[in-house]
Amino acid sequence: MHALEIDHLTKRYGDNLAVDDLTFRVEPGRVTGFLGPNGSGKSTTMKILLDLATADDGSATIGGTRYRELADPFRTVGVILEPNAFHPARTGRNHLRVVADAGNLPSTKVGETLRLVGLSDAADRGVGTYSLGMRQRLGLAAALLGDPPILVLDEPANGLDPEGIRWLRDLLRSRAADGKTVFVSSHLLAEVEHLADDVVVINRGRLVTTGAIADLRKIGTSVRTPSKRSLITALDGADCLVETQIDGSLLVSGIPAAEIGDRALAAGVALHELSPHVGSLEDLFMGWTASPTATDAPPTKKEKVLT
Amino acid sequence: MSWLRLLKAESRKLATTRLPLGFLAVVGLVAAVVAVAVLMGAGTDDAEGLFDTIEAQTSLLSFGMNAMIIGGLFGAIVAAREYAHGTAVPMFLAGPNRYRAMLAQLAVVVFFGGVIGLVGGGLTIAAGALALPVVDFQLLLPVDVAVRLVATSALAGAIGAGLGAGIGALIRNPGGAVTAAVAILLLGPPIVAQLVNDAAAWVPGSLIDVISGLAQEPSLVTAIGALAIWGLVPVVIGMFAVQRRDVI
Repeated sequence: MHALEIDHLTKRYGDNLAVDDLTFRVEPGRVTGFLGPNGSGKSTTMKILLDLATADDGSATIGGTRYRELADPFRTVGVILEPNAFHPARTGRNHLRVVADAGNLPSTKVGETLRLVGLSDAADRGVGTYSLGMRQRLGLAAALLGDPPILVLDEPANGLDPEGIRWLRDLLRSRAADGKTVFVSSHLLAEVEHLADDVVVINRGRLVTTGAIADLRKIGTSVRTPSKRSLITALDGADCLVETQIDGSLLVSGIPAAEIGDRALAAGVALHELSPHVGSLEDLFMGWTASPTATDAPPTKKEKVLT
Repeated sequence: MSWLRLLKAESRKLATTRLPLGFLAVVGLVAAVVAVAVLMGAGTDDAEGLFDTIEAQTSLLSFGMNAMIIGGLFGAIVAAREYAHGTAVPMFLAGPNRYRAMLAQLAVVVFFGGVIGLVGGGLTIAAGALALPVVDFQLLLPVDVAVRLVATSALAGAIGAGLGAGIGALIRNPGGAVTAAVAILLLGPPIVAQLVNDAAAWVPGSLIDVISGLAQEPSLVTAIGALAIWGLVPVVIGMFAVQRRDVI
């Protein structure tokens, strides 16, 4: 099984620091979403991983090996980087034949993969006549041609219709279920929420947060009490953040629900609700990346917000 | 083995676009222009001096410099559009050793540049052979001279294509690469020859004249070597750039 390891990666373009001491790991058997605003360094990180760009510092490896040292790259990693990386006059079938030749893959795989991505009927048309969605499917076909255990896909859902997005989701999930590594950058947060098990979030080239989506979405504990001020006083000294929600409940983050309950009990504060608060990925993402200086993980050192 | 599969992929790439046919059409057009020039030149006062000796016909039907320019444009477009279309990416992903990937492309481009020169040289002589009798002249070229002209044309086309591919890999923009190739092959040499007297013998046109048998200085081997250097320098610079720069 192949994990992808990004270790203290740094890349500069002139004075612009595109990737800044970035470290994270992508595990096999899971779909990992790679999120960040435009220009945050996602594509640059992928290009360095694939040895298409050179890092100024740090390393990016595939199962501990640099891409350029892989014995059989096309049977190891399937890649989508740019949606329009085709010669417009070349047919889809011929594009895949070129890829098959270069990757030493049997030409019989071409027809098979075209069927898999639903492009058989358009295979003998010039790619210049394809819609963006069809080009994405052709890019996916090229990535899947060698049936690699790793997929590195930059915005693969761009231009796909809802049916195509669902097909892509099922395909990637089934590959992850087979123990393969799937690393997908996307700006479609709702889609990543459906698709990914883990996320890596970067902003301005730096890691913002990484982990299982299910864990990251548990952003705190929703608490209802008739004695808000008493509860806030009871939580004084705990390393937590307390915010008032629109519905009047309190959102307490930074400490477990059990500690909130214990402190309330000790202070004699009645609680009417104590439940996990789950945020949407979109809300979380906006919080992680909204500030121009937001390059740290969601605050761990909490400060109290008085209501 | 990996080099061979890259070579196969590059060959298929070239064969699955219309560019090679377009360039073959261009050399056909140039040959047709030569035929028209013969037909029109026959009516002038200088016609006899233009067509009635082996030397004059050798000069008239020499396609070498055309082959080098057309080959240069071909190489520049093929190499630069790989970056413009993003189709360089699969090749560098398949062959992460970038020298190997570029060498495969270079080999195919140089080969086809040679084909362009070969076809152009042959068509030009054929055009002359067809046009000269129409205006009451005979084709005087002996077979060995005709073969040498065609071989020179093939060599010049191949070297020009290599030169163009080097420029294309360096500039990565088809328009810019074509402009640079034209500047180097068409505009630069006359200017250099005017500025530096001794340089005149070393510009492509003069070297091709030697290889074609139209001039004697420098020697044939030296001329072939010098012409090869015209192609090799951009190739080496292009390969160095490919190795050093990010692909995308």
